Amino acid sequence: MKLLRLLAAGFSMSLRRSVAFRVNLAFDVLLAFTGLGTAIAAVLIVFTRADTLAGWSKAEFLVLIGTYQLITGLRTTFIDPNLSWFPETGIRNGKLDGYLLQPASSLFLSSLSLSSPLQLIQVLLGVGVLGWGIAAADQVPSVGGVLGWLVLVVAGLVVTWALSVLLACLAFWAPKLQLDVFYHSAWQFGRYPTDVFSRPLRILLTYVFPMALIASVPSTALLRGTRPGLVLAGVAAAGGAATLAALAWRAGLRRYTGATS
Amino acid sequence: MRTLSRTGVLLGFRIRQEVLEWSGAWWFLLTLVVQAVVAPLIGLFVWSAVYPDDPAIARYYVAVVLVTLMTESFEQHTFSERIYNGTLSHELLRPQPVVVGVIGMNLAIRGWLTLLGAPIVLLTGIALQVGFDWWAVLRGTPYLVLAAVLVFLWTFLLALTAFWTDRVHAVVGFGSQLIFLFGGTAAPIGLLPDTWRRVAELLPFYGMNGLPAEIAAGTRSGGSLGYQLVWVALLTGIVMVLWRAGVRRYTAVGS
Repeated sequence: MKLLRLLAAGFSMSLRRSVAFRVNLAFDVLLAFTGLGTAIAAVLIVFTRADTLAGWSKAEFLVLIGTYQLITGLRTTFIDPNLSWFPETGIRNGKLDGYLLQPASSLFLSSLSLSSPLQLIQVLLGVGVLGWGIAAADQVPSVGGVLGWLVLVVAGLVVTWALSVLLACLAFWAPKLQLDVFYHSAWQFGRYPTDVFSRPLRILLTYVFPMALIASVPSTALLRGTRPGLVLAGVAAAGGAATLAALAWRAGLRRYTGATS
Repeated sequence: MRTLSRTGVLLGFRIRQEVLEWSGAWWFLLTLVVQAVVAPLIGLFVWSAVYPDDPAIARYYVAVVLVTLMTESFEQHTFSERIYNGTLSHELLRPQPVVVGVIGMNLAIRGWLTLLGAPIVLLTGIALQVGFDWWAVLRGTPYLVLAAVLVFLWTFLLALTAFWTDRVHAVVGFGSQLIFLFGGTAAPIGLLPDTWRRVAELLPFYGMNGLPAEIAAGTRSGGSLGYQLVWVALLTGIVMVLWRAGVRRYTAVGS
């Protein structure tokens, strides 16, 4: 409860800071629209040449893009402002020292205390595209499909957070190693179903950087029906990743001796 | 003539200086390489799934990866930041055109990106068993040179908006989206619906990416260098006008 209140307070402060800059707001809205528009256009071009792509119909692709956009929006709103460039800002510039002195979980403060509320525009746009995809689909999603999608989206979010924390934890051992860009580049592959890619890349995107869990798996559950085994695997992956992240953070803190030491 | 030769010598020195400076930032350069190759690689996988039996798709996208690496421009970082932090004043006081420094850094970074990205291009080509007709690659060279000029002019043009706004990264990001969509990365422009293809063939973005890649891949035997040259002239004119207006508006930090 205390953490939720802290999250709300951080969000409120960030929101007030953001809306003070109206030109930035206008550009962010514009860029969110054009970014998503470009992504959709790229897919729609494909469907002028084919009815399905790797077994996915146009409607399924729209659901996938909507889900991807929604999770990307939540990531850029709540996770990236904290953990992007963590080796630089958190370790080398000493922001972590400040968090360690505060009476709350350092993992929470380091990974979720700041936010970029304007990026929630991406979430809204994602929901819009999701609705478009569902409306264009041949059949209405079942209740089980919607529930499965919800659970898998939450699982995908937890995995996203855990991966960001694990990447940040590397900085405790190698403060100059900056892998964010590679992570964000791998993230781009999540906009497409893993069936599109070649086998080695598919394995990489399923087990190493589980981008399949971000959008492909929830979208499949929503439109093609939920398989209980898949939902359980998603929940287990989320639990495992979160536990691993917490353990890595604790191990990293034991090693950490302060920015100036 | 003497001024041109002097500018050439200055440019040479600047490129050498920048190549040496960036040689210590290979990890950062590697991240730039990865960022540059992701979109073409996704395009490669997507269109290979649509046309699995067409070797020209793989050849085209391998060429796009190489063209992208050789033409990447980052003036929103290397130039606009100088406007924001006021260090442009130092450049303005030097007895040489400011653009010499900008071009020098641009070419040095491109050189490093090409060098570091070459293994990715080679590996992709070998994995997909892509074979190039080297005569076509040679024929594509002038198109590639003009593409490199066009990308630089486009990015520099957008970077100049830093004189008027503090959101230059968003402006340049929007410009990159246009290159992605109409330049031949999202799809080879021959595969666009007819109306969009005609629009794309008129805009400068095709000349920045898809045209040299198509020539090098042999999917197009000849193109119009004139189309690229017209856009080079047009963008150069706009850049010069914006530069003059921008410098008149510029007031150094602290003044």
